[in-house]
Amino acid sequence: MSKKKLNYTEALTELEGIIEQIESGDLTVDELSEKVKTAADLVKVCQDKLRKTEDEINKTLEGLE
Amino acid sequence: MEHLSLFQLNKLIQKTLDGHLDASYWVIAEIGELRVNQNGHCYLELVEKENNNIIAKSRATIWANNYRNLSLWFEKMTGQSLQQGLKILCNLNVQFHELYGLSYNIRDIDANFTLGERARKRQEVILKLQEDGVFDLNKSLEAPRVMKKIAVISSPSAAGYEDFLNQLDSNRYGYKFDVTLFKSIMQGNTAPESMINALLAIHNSNSEFDGVVIIRGGGSQIDLDCFDDYELAAHCCQFPLPILSGIGHERDESVLDMIAFRSLKTPTAVAEWIINVNMDFEIELTQKFEQLSKIVLQSLKFEQQRVNQIVSKIKSSGKVVQVNENYRLNTLKSNLKTALKHQLSSLDSELTLKAKIIDHLNPQNILKRGYTMTSKNGKPIGSQKLSIGDIIVTTTNKMTINSKIAEINE
Repeated sequence: MSKKKLNYTEALTELEGIIEQIESGDLTVDELSEKVKTAADLVKVCQDKLRKTEDEINKTLEGLE
Repeated sequence: MEHLSLFQLNKLIQKTLDGHLDASYWVIAEIGELRVNQNGHCYLELVEKENNNIIAKSRATIWANNYRNLSLWFEKMTGQSLQQGLKILCNLNVQFHELYGLSYNIRDIDANFTLGERARKRQEVILKLQEDGVFDLNKSLEAPRVMKKIAVISSPSAAGYEDFLNQLDSNRYGYKFDVTLFKSIMQGNTAPESMINALLAIHNSNSEFDGVVIIRGGGSQIDLDCFDDYELAAHCCQFPLPILSGIGHERDESVLDMIAFRSLKTPTAVAEWIINVNMDFEIELTQKFEQLSKIVLQSLKFEQQRVNQIVSKIKSSGKVVQVNENYRLNTLKSNLKTALKHQLSSLDSELTLKAKIIDHLNPQNILKRGYTMTSKNGKPIGSQKLSIGDIIVTTTNKMTINSKIAEINE
């Protein structure tokens, strides 16, 4: 997920989507923990983006790949 | 032939003019040219235009002793200096000098007229933008969720630019920004074109900016007319990115302020606004995540309850089965007992009967009743061949008698 270039609005929309999915009760408990992890990652990515310069982020992303 | 010298003619003109003209007139004219010489005298060319063609043109002067106060006062009143292109209402008297010819001596200028003129012009620009249907375009762009890559149109040396950068850098939340400066002239006649070029440069750059900031600030409050320029405003209106203005003037809003996505008083205020945009986003982000945690906990709790219910169902249904099985088992047991008893007693009575029969058949009992039994060599005589002289044994209830056969009658 971190490899994809995600903009803030997309991140927030995805977060909202996860909330909706969980609220609808369609998810299994197994999926639940995975979704929460994704959501936490999204928040982290956004916060990182806010606080780091583009260069730093690119370096970080290269490190992931 | 009667004739006049040039001097005489000029004197005549002067005399005629003096005799027929009032001491002064209030005249509306546009400043076509303006220069101040080293002595502080101001030389102007006044023009009147019709459809952009000059239809009247005259020289005029404002003498140094008057110009000093008049120009300062005019600047203070209108926020701009006396300059080319400005339409003014001035009080002048007409002078004709035999050597220098016709000239107007400006004695007073009505600043309110220029103010009104500017307001009228500005109103015209606003109307035109509205007629073009672009006035609200920039305002109605989607608000940026986050502002990180920012294009700034400013003069690089402006104090306002410095303030803007400082404010961004020193934000309390640790947000980092990528700011790119697009240099532009920010005052005077060339400013609109310079700013438009900066906008085009931003548009053509490969970077995806989140917004454009136009700042000015520090410096004088004069020469802000460029921000009322139609072309500049039209470009800004139609620019695809939100434009934030921080032009920083104390007088009326400029057209740019009116059409910008957000207009703020100062460059510092623009920076503050940008920081708040990001903060709002982060708050929203955090809230969403908290909401998520809450929902997840609820879901887990719900699942837990379901599991508990299932467990207790299993437990209780197990008990019922147990009770049922127990009952069945007990019934079987008691049935078995009854059946066994029954069987035993019938066996018992059969046995008793048989025992009686057997008892009846017992030879001892027959002997007891007085019968005897005769045998030869230990075997009943019935099945043996007997001969006279054979020894036979007669058994009674109480004794055995040995006898010799004396006679056989068949």
